[in-house]
Amino acid sequence: MAHKVALIRGDGTGPELVAAVEKIFNTANLNIDWIDVEAGLACVEAGKPIVPDETIAKIKEVGIGLKGPMTTPIGKGSVSPNVTLRKKLDLYACVRPAKSLPGVETPFKGLDLVIFRENTEDLYAQIEYMVTPTVAQSLKIISEFGSERICRAAFEYARKNGRKQVVCVHKANIMKVADGLFLRTFKKVAAEYPEIEAWDNIVDNQCMQLVTRWNSYDVLVTENLYGDIVSDLVAGMMGGLGVAPGANYGTKCAVFEAVHGSAPKYAGLNKVNPTALLLSATMMLEHLGELDAKKNIEGALEATLSEGTKTYDLGGSATTSGFADAVCAHLKG
Amino acid sequence: MNFNLHGLDIYLWTPTTPDLPKEFRTMKLTLISNRGTRIYPPPAPEIDLLDYPRCRFESDTVVSNEDIDALVLHITELGWTWVKCQKLFRNDEGENLYSQPY
Repeated sequence: MAHKVALIRGDGTGPELVAAVEKIFNTANLNIDWIDVEAGLACVEAGKPIVPDETIAKIKEVGIGLKGPMTTPIGKGSVSPNVTLRKKLDLYACVRPAKSLPGVETPFKGLDLVIFRENTEDLYAQIEYMVTPTVAQSLKIISEFGSERICRAAFEYARKNGRKQVVCVHKANIMKVADGLFLRTFKKVAAEYPEIEAWDNIVDNQCMQLVTRWNSYDVLVTENLYGDIVSDLVAGMMGGLGVAPGANYGTKCAVFEAVHGSAPKYAGLNKVNPTALLLSATMMLEHLGELDAKKNIEGALEATLSEGTKTYDLGGSATTSGFADAVCAHLKG
Repeated sequence: MNFNLHGLDIYLWTPTTPDLPKEFRTMKLTLISNRGTRIYPPPAPEIDLLDYPRCRFESDTVVSNEDIDALVLHITELGWTWVKCQKLFRNDEGENLYSQPY
């Protein structure tokens, strides 16, 4: 039976990247029933919300979504489609794996870590006020509930995937109440997983350690803002946003997406690297239980990169569709 | 002063979405949010809620500090426990000097 997946093609280069992934999935003989749902700039131009309620309802019904990159319109009253999806679907766990890829040269050999970023709280609650004519205030919301479920997700992932260590990233030395609650909750959850090593680092120290001792880390769990920053840091360590995948999990559904933006200036040029969206899609395959297909596609991707077929961001000249064709040529079966 | 009082965000301590008066003097209950996500007016997304809803009362016209004090007292008299209040200001052009929830 086909797996149903709600598909957001995205803005800018999104449709080209989605087409590349579709082609690879078709060539791998994956039985996916793609259900197109609308979101993004076209909705705004049609006078609709950037993520219509019908789209939210369909993703909820199907339980799985794959999303091409979308653009957040600039201007008063505009909202991020990505944050809207996360909030309205309560996708509380943003998971960003960062792993060295063959043929993608970086100083960070053997990088292999996973970041769990809390996705619904912190300063991203976006509660802001001018409290006097000259003073602005932004509220940071950290709850025991929100902290516990992201920490538990990180430990459950570690247990299921044979990871040995979970590190909590925080700034509780300064924000003793809010980050103190996050850290305290982490320690409470960690006590339920005695086989997994657990400790904590202050976020600034963690950033320094990631670029000097990256092989000492395994799974990191952190709040929303720190997670936003640290996950882009490790995306750069992996080789750039063009190769960095991501997934957002809730209790009822999951949405898989590339970390990067829609790169509108490259739209229609058949130029952008589809690797990030492809790796996000293989995370989706794991979620669907299609482990052999995931292995097949990731193997073909690694073979493609190893032979030197690369897009411009990695120093190559392959087009988006040409890169997808090369991956298809390496698929087995 | 280009900093005009138009309403109040009042944060309650309650595990449920509160059933509050829809109007008070010139102010209307325009939204309730939880962790920055709108849950009133409906439809409310199916999200897990904290015991910390934010209830927003706004007026198209300028209100007084006494209006705000009276609103807070009214909510207290109705039996709700508030834990935080934030006055809402707009500039002379009518722009909100506060954010909107998702």
